Amino acid sequence: MKLTRRQLATALTSAAALAQTPSGPPAAPGEELKAARDRVAANGAALAKQEVPVATEPAFQFKA
Amino acid sequence: MAGIGNDLFFATIPELNARLKSKEFSAQELARAFAGRLEQLGPGYNALALPLPQQAIRQAREVDQDIKRERLRGPLQGIPYGVKDLLSLAGQPTTWGAKPYAGQVFDYNATVIDKLAGVGAVLAGKLSMVELAGGGGYRYASASLTGPGLNPWDRTRWSGGSSSGPAAAVAAGLVTFAIGSETSGSIVTPASYCGVTALRPTYGLVSRYGAMALSWTLDKLGPFARSAEDCGLILQVIAGSDAKDPGSAGKSFYYTPQYARPLKDLRMGYAPADFTEWAEPAARPAFQAALAVLQQTGMRLVETKMPPFPYGAVLSTILAAEQASVFEPLIASGKVDELADAAQIAGLKASLEVPAKDYLKAMRVRRLIQEAFSTLFQEVDVLLAPGRPGPATSIDQPLDRAGTAPATAPQDPGFRSIVPAGNLAGLPALVLPCGFAENLPLALQVVGVPFSENLLLAVGKEFQARTDWHKRRPPGV
Repeated sequence: MKLTRRQLATALTSAAALAQTPSGPPAAPGEELKAARDRVAANGAALAKQEVPVATEPAFQFKA
Repeated sequence: MAGIGNDLFFATIPELNARLKSKEFSAQELARAFAGRLEQLGPGYNALALPLPQQAIRQAREVDQDIKRERLRGPLQGIPYGVKDLLSLAGQPTTWGAKPYAGQVFDYNATVIDKLAGVGAVLAGKLSMVELAGGGGYRYASASLTGPGLNPWDRTRWSGGSSSGPAAAVAAGLVTFAIGSETSGSIVTPASYCGVTALRPTYGLVSRYGAMALSWTLDKLGPFARSAEDCGLILQVIAGSDAKDPGSAGKSFYYTPQYARPLKDLRMGYAPADFTEWAEPAARPAFQAALAVLQQTGMRLVETKMPPFPYGAVLSTILAAEQASVFEPLIASGKVDELADAAQIAGLKASLEVPAKDYLKAMRVRRLIQEAFSTLFQEVDVLLAPGRPGPATSIDQPLDRAGTAPATAPQDPGFRSIVPAGNLAGLPALVLPCGFAENLPLALQVVGVPFSENLLLAVGKEFQARTDWHKRRPPGV
């Protein structure tokens, strides 16, 4: 089927909009939990990439 | 009640206090008027968690007796206020906005409430919030025991959260000021969406004792009010050392506008992209006009770059690990499933699985972030960014939708991460209403080094002397 230029433009715009819009919220609780766990893992992965000098201590202090 | 006109519901603290002292009306009359208004109109915005009319009148009666005896306690004496319902008030429910805690009652007051009582402020009610201050990551505005916070400017729009009630109640003139909290965004966002001046103090300046802990190293309490000056007057009362708060900075705060540095001596760091490409198109004219006002004060706007760190990952990891410990009993018991928001429930459950090494790594990166901002503040005196890139979202809109992001990401990341960054570094921020888009408020945020609240308030006071956005009222209130 040959698309007119108008139809092609509409199809490309829709595809781009779908690509930008995040997928809808997961419906089942199991999917929500998986998504949340994935976020924890993704945060961990992002942290792993961050270089930290060996002498850097955590930003809290214990005092006796 | 003669003398209680509508204007008084939108008066500043000094205005109200002067009229009390001149006996235009009594503190009891004022308390009855505000408490009645809060009880009548608060539910219309889902802003009210618990009305406290009897408490208010009792406190106001003492104020009247004190004023009669000329026992004056300062500008907050007799002023009606509200608190976010994560602050404990002895003998009254403190629900944390969450169904599992709906019947929770403590037998002690939060330090902030005691401090305000000590100067004669009148507590009119407890105000709504997102359940558990939203730490698990909520998807919808309805993530609350009291339903979605409705924006007084347009009830189809969200008031913002998690300090939904404090922002809406001040915006609608239901209280003169309110105390809210922020872990990451919970003061800045609702203040911006509701067009209210608000202050997130330096971490540790205001005692957290008696406030629900979401994240011990990120939580701060701060005021929503009619003006920057009002925020300064409130902070002077609520700030200070508290042995009952392990995170207390041990410092006091004295509001000293008379010693403010001339603004022409100040350098204000900002990223132009925040006010152009990153801002929603409808908001850009108002933001540009606000920048022009700031330039007219003589402050130098200096193009500045934010230090590059994975702020989202750092903050999310710290928040998740700390809240997991706080709410471990809730999660383990299964009562977490009683919460309103599915994403929040899942987020809390998953937070139990944050590895210790990730938490410690995040806290080490946090040290680097503090150092990087300390270096940045050698080049500028304050930082400026939009409070939010656009006006309040629809109450039905999923909050994790990227609907407001530009189609093509601008090259300059700007200061889009200033909220997590500022909270990680414990920095204070002042939110200033600065205009409108689509008949909804917009705001700026001015961020400073730790304990620079007087400087931020001086900037805010000057901005508010040159504009009247902070005096605007929602239609029909």
